[in-house]
Amino acid sequence: MAVTITTRELVPAPAIPPRRLPGDPGRPLTASRTGSRLGRVGLVVLLLGWFALPLLPLALWAFADQWSYPAAVPTEWGTDGLNSAITAGGIAAFGRSALLGVAVAAIATLIGAVAARALVAGWAPFPRLVTVLLFAPVAIPPFASILGTNVILLRAQVPSLLGLVMVLVVVALPYTTFTLRAAYAAHDMRYEEEARTLGASQAQVLWRIQIPLMAPALARAAFLAFLVGWSDYIVTLIVGGGQLVTVPIITASLAAGVGNDSVVAVLSLAALVPPVALLIVLARNGFR
Amino acid sequence: MKTVRGARAVLVIVLLPVVVVVVGGLGSAIMQSVGLMPLIGPVRFNLDAYAATAQDLPVAIGVSLAIAASSTAIAALVGTAAALVVVSGGWLGRLVGMAGAVTISIPHLIGAATIGLLLADSGVLPRLLGIDADAWPPLVGGPWWVAVIAGFAWKESAFVALVVAGTLLTRVAQFDEPAALLGAGRIARIRMIFLPLAAPSLIVASTIVFIYTLGSYEVAWLLGRTYPEPLAVMAIRLFNDVSLTSRTESAAIAVVTVVLAFAAVAVASVAVRRMAVWR
Repeated sequence: MAVTITTRELVPAPAIPPRRLPGDPGRPLTASRTGSRLGRVGLVVLLLGWFALPLLPLALWAFADQWSYPAAVPTEWGTDGLNSAITAGGIAAFGRSALLGVAVAAIATLIGAVAARALVAGWAPFPRLVTVLLFAPVAIPPFASILGTNVILLRAQVPSLLGLVMVLVVVALPYTTFTLRAAYAAHDMRYEEEARTLGASQAQVLWRIQIPLMAPALARAAFLAFLVGWSDYIVTLIVGGGQLVTVPIITASLAAGVGNDSVVAVLSLAALVPPVALLIVLARNGFR
Repeated sequence: MKTVRGARAVLVIVLLPVVVVVVGGLGSAIMQSVGLMPLIGPVRFNLDAYAATAQDLPVAIGVSLAIAASSTAIAALVGTAAALVVVSGGWLGRLVGMAGAVTISIPHLIGAATIGLLLADSGVLPRLLGIDADAWPPLVGGPWWVAVIAGFAWKESAFVALVVAGTLLTRVAQFDEPAALLGAGRIARIRMIFLPLAAPSLIVASTIVFIYTLGSYEVAWLLGRTYPEPLAVMAIRLFNDVSLTSRTESAAIAVVTVVLAFAAVAVASVAVRRMAVWR
């Protein structure tokens, strides 16, 4: 049997004009138009300038070997700043800062999670007292609490590194507890109850239900706690007793001197890399 | 029941460091300041440390409060504008949100260093603007603490923006769209919807910024002048001083700073409670 194939030109369906009621501009009423749109773009440009302008010196100074005064751009580009940063012990300091940040993040996230879960589930003893204690570090300037804490730590002969991590964990706890308390309040306990009913052990529920469901909030909390350890200057200086030389400590001693502009810029740029990289990772995973 | 008791024990153990730092730290600062924890010599209650600092303390309090108040005011203003842009969405809003997130994650000391590179009399800004170093005002280490306030205002405006935008993102749309439908204009919606909804979180964020700025050391130390000193700079200088009485004086300044910070919290909590949205 012969098959005849007829080909036909495919005609695109006629475009249906969008249905609009008379007077409907076709955009949400809350979207900006003409004059106010210009104003909004202007405001955005101003805000972006406000946030970005202070970072401009880093980009210019980091690779400036020479920049004699009135010149608007560096007169000689090069890697002198980078070399001096490495000579000043920048790489080791970078490692120490990262370790400090990770240690603070790990401990403060864990304690924050235990406390947040206890507060939300209602089995925390004296919940109001626990809440006040956990959030008090926000209301107490770090320099004030460490002047007192330092004496206790010295008399109790706590190693300075341990004391430093402890104080920074306490400083980070309000942020981790706040983030995780909100997340646990929204967390549906029925998933865990369901798994228990189906025979999962407590450990299995923790690893396969609770942690995966809480992962975004845990990541956010850990990021905030990492920032506390990574950024700290005054606690590291006083409680660390000058033993732990981190990126902020080196940068501070160089920035307080004269003529170190280029090396300060290199160290500052390096100090921006880990937080910004973590921020990108969090944003990509939809954790923000 | 057994697991709850075990979990409670775990909670108490993990909270121990908090108790040491918050209760122990404050308690020991207070005791040192009144002579109950001397480095050497007899334990005797006295207010010598407060008397010794009485001359410089009012100036230091004034400088610290002025820096904190002006930084907080600018941060709140810029932060609210940024939050407005972030909440109204679109790619412009996302861009401002990203710029704010990057600004928050910059360590304060690094921020102070880069503000110094920007605003000093041989800094990047006078170079770009072609202004002579002699004609450039003394922003770093000058009498008006401009670089210090700029450093705080810059970093903290991003904090205010993200806190306010974070609390509004889910709530503003449900009021904003109906109001627009009912004919409310742009300004009316900002005034009647955005600002009242933003107010509680704006006050909370501003209080945190105020207290942080009041007690912050590194920015004022790096970009400020040597006299008069803000509270934190004075306390740390006395703490590192060699004379034996200076430790008790630095503890006294710490106690005064904490009292100021608690007063700020008290004022803010009264203000927040009075708000319509909170009730």
